[in-house]
Amino acid sequence: MQTKRTIFPNKLLPYVLLLPQLAVTLIFFIWPALQAVKSSFEREDPFGFRTTFIWFENYTRLFADPNYVNSLSRTAVFAVSVTILSMCVSLLLAVAVNRVLRTNRIYTTLLVWPYAVAPVVVGILWWFIFNPTIGILPYMMRGLGVAWNPRVNGDQAMILVIIAASWKQISYNFLFFVAGLQSVPQSLTEAAAIDGAGPFKRFFTIVLPLLSPTTFFLLIVNINYAMFDTFGIIDATTSGGPNQATNTLVYKVYADGFLGLNIGSSAAQSVILMLIVIALTAIQFRFIERRVQY
Amino acid sequence: MATINLVDLHKDYGNSHAVRGINLSVADGELIVLVGPSGCGKSTLLRMVAGLETVSSGRIEIGGRDVVKAEPAERDIAMVFQNYALYPHMTVRGNLEYGLKNRGTPRAEIDRRVNEAAEILEIGPMLDRKPRQLSGGQRQRVAMGRAIVREPAAFLFDEPLSNLDAKLRVQMRVEIRKLQRRLKTTSLYVTHDQLEAMTLADRLVVMNGGLVEQIGTPTEVYDRPATLFVASFIGSPPMNLLPVSALGNTQGLNLPAGTDMVGIRPDQMHLEPRPGATALPATAELLEPIGGESHLHLRLDSGHSVILSVPGRPSITEGTAVTVYIEPAALHPFDSKTGRRTDA
Repeated sequence: MQTKRTIFPNKLLPYVLLLPQLAVTLIFFIWPALQAVKSSFEREDPFGFRTTFIWFENYTRLFADPNYVNSLSRTAVFAVSVTILSMCVSLLLAVAVNRVLRTNRIYTTLLVWPYAVAPVVVGILWWFIFNPTIGILPYMMRGLGVAWNPRVNGDQAMILVIIAASWKQISYNFLFFVAGLQSVPQSLTEAAAIDGAGPFKRFFTIVLPLLSPTTFFLLIVNINYAMFDTFGIIDATTSGGPNQATNTLVYKVYADGFLGLNIGSSAAQSVILMLIVIALTAIQFRFIERRVQY
Repeated sequence: MATINLVDLHKDYGNSHAVRGINLSVADGELIVLVGPSGCGKSTLLRMVAGLETVSSGRIEIGGRDVVKAEPAERDIAMVFQNYALYPHMTVRGNLEYGLKNRGTPRAEIDRRVNEAAEILEIGPMLDRKPRQLSGGQRQRVAMGRAIVREPAAFLFDEPLSNLDAKLRVQMRVEIRKLQRRLKTTSLYVTHDQLEAMTLADRLVVMNGGLVEQIGTPTEVYDRPATLFVASFIGSPPMNLLPVSALGNTQGLNLPAGTDMVGIRPDQMHLEPRPGATALPATAELLEPIGGESHLHLRLDSGHSVILSVPGRPSITEGTAVTVYIEPAALHPFDSKTGRRTDA
C-alpha cells in the first residue's frame, strides 16, 4: 500500500497539529501510568500522611504472597477457559448460521444482542440464574442430584464467572466468525466435496485453516478481554470469592487498592498487568500478520 | 473412461426453470462443449452432473450407473472451476494430493501420479509453492493437475479459461484439447465463448433458456444451424438474418414451404456478380478492416442492415452504393414463428 506523504512548509505546524492528541495521551494515559509505576515503589500509610520509597519490596512481597500466585493461576485458568469456551461456541453458532440461507440476518442480529449488555448486568443476570436460593439452574441441578452453591464451592464459582464472561463475548466472536466464514469461497468447499472430503473433513482441512487469521485475532482479543475487561462480571457475581477462588489479577488490583487500601501493592500489581498487556500486544502485532497467513 | 447419459433432466428453483428437460449422451472419451448465453442453464447442468446441485427430475448416468442420489465424491468425476478453486493454504503439491489422500491412495501411488501430472503440465518446479505465488496461467494448470491426478471417469470444466487474458486463453485452450486427446477422458466443458466452443468440441450442445437448441459437431452446427437462435449465436460476425421479402423476387430460390426468414453467413455474401446469384442493391455504412479481411456494414435498399466479411481491404468509402450477390445455396431458410429450419 502506498501512503501519501505530506510536506509541511512550516517545521512547527505538524507538531502543533499533533498536540491535542498528544496532550490527551499524556494526561490520561502516560501520566497515570507513570504515577502507578512511581507508587509501586512506595509504601503509604493507610491515612495517606507519609510515603516511603522502598524500591522493589512491593514486588518481592507480591511474588512471595501465595494469594497473589494463586490469583495468577486463577487468572490463567479463567482466561484460557473463557477464550476456549466463547470461541468454540461462537464458531459453532457461526457455522450453523452460515448454513442457513434465508434467515441468517435475523439469527445474526439476535445473536449479537448480548454484546450490547453491560458487563455488570451480565454478571447480575447470571448471578440470578445460578443463585443457589432463587436461581432456576440450581433448582434443576438439585433435581439431578448436583449440590450447586457457588457461594461456598470455589470451583463452581469459577464455572459461574467463566460462563457469564464467555456468554458476553460470544456475540463479538460470532460476528467475526460469520464474516470470516462468508469470505471462504463456496467453490473451495465444492472442490473439496468433489475431492472426496466429507463435511467434517472439509471443515477441518479447508474452512478452519482459512479462518486462521480471524481465529488468531479473536484469540488475542479474547485473552485480553478475559484478563482485563471482566471486572464488572466478577464484581457483580462472586466479588472474587469464595476464599479467593475467582480473584483474578484485575479484581485483586481493585480489592487490594480500594478495599484493602494497600496502594503500593495495588500499583505494583497494575504495573505487572501493564507488562502483560504490553507483551500480549507485542505478540499480536508481531505475529498476527506474519504467522497466520496462507 | 466412461459414458455420460442425461435423461430428461430438469432443475427448478421455485417457479423458475433453469434446466427444462435435457437429453444428452456423451460417448466414452468424447469432449462435449455446452455453449450458450449467460443464464441459459449450462452451468447449472454441469453442476448437476457434478452433484453440486440437486436434480428436480430426470436421470444422470455416469459409466452406466445412476448417480442422481450420489454424493459428488462418489461420482468419480473431477471438476475444474472458473476461479480455479485452489486451496490457498496448501502448496501446489498439497492441492494435487488432497483428493488422493481423502481416498486413501497409497503414498507411492500418490507420488507417482503427482509427479506424472506435474510433468505433463510442466508445473514440476512449482510443486512447493502456494497458489498465490503463481500466475493465472500456472494456477489454471494446477487446477487441471488436480483433476488429472484423480484419474476420474469424467472431467467437468466450468468456464475454466474465462479468468485468463486473451493470449493465454488461446494457449490454454490448445493445451486442454491436447491433454484431453492424450488422456481420452470423457469431458463436459461449459463456456459462453463460441470460438472456444467451436475449437474444443467433438460435439457442441447449444443451449438457450434451459433447453437444448442443437447438438452436433462444430461444423454441423455452423453449416446447418437448426434454429434461428443457433444461427445468430454461432459464428462471428453473426449470421445475417433477413425476412424473405428483403430478397425481392424469390421465385428461383426454391425456398421450402413456411420459410419467412433467411440467414446468410457474412462470408457468403459477395460484392462481385456470381452466376445464378440474387443481386441486392445496398449502401455502404462502415468498413472495419481487421487485418486479412474486412467487415463491411451495409444497409440494403429494403432497409435491413447486414454485415459482409470480405477478403483484403476493399476501397469502399462510406455512403457508396454497392450491389450484394447471394447464391441460393448459401441461404439458410427458417420459419420465424417456430424458430426452426424449414429444410430439415
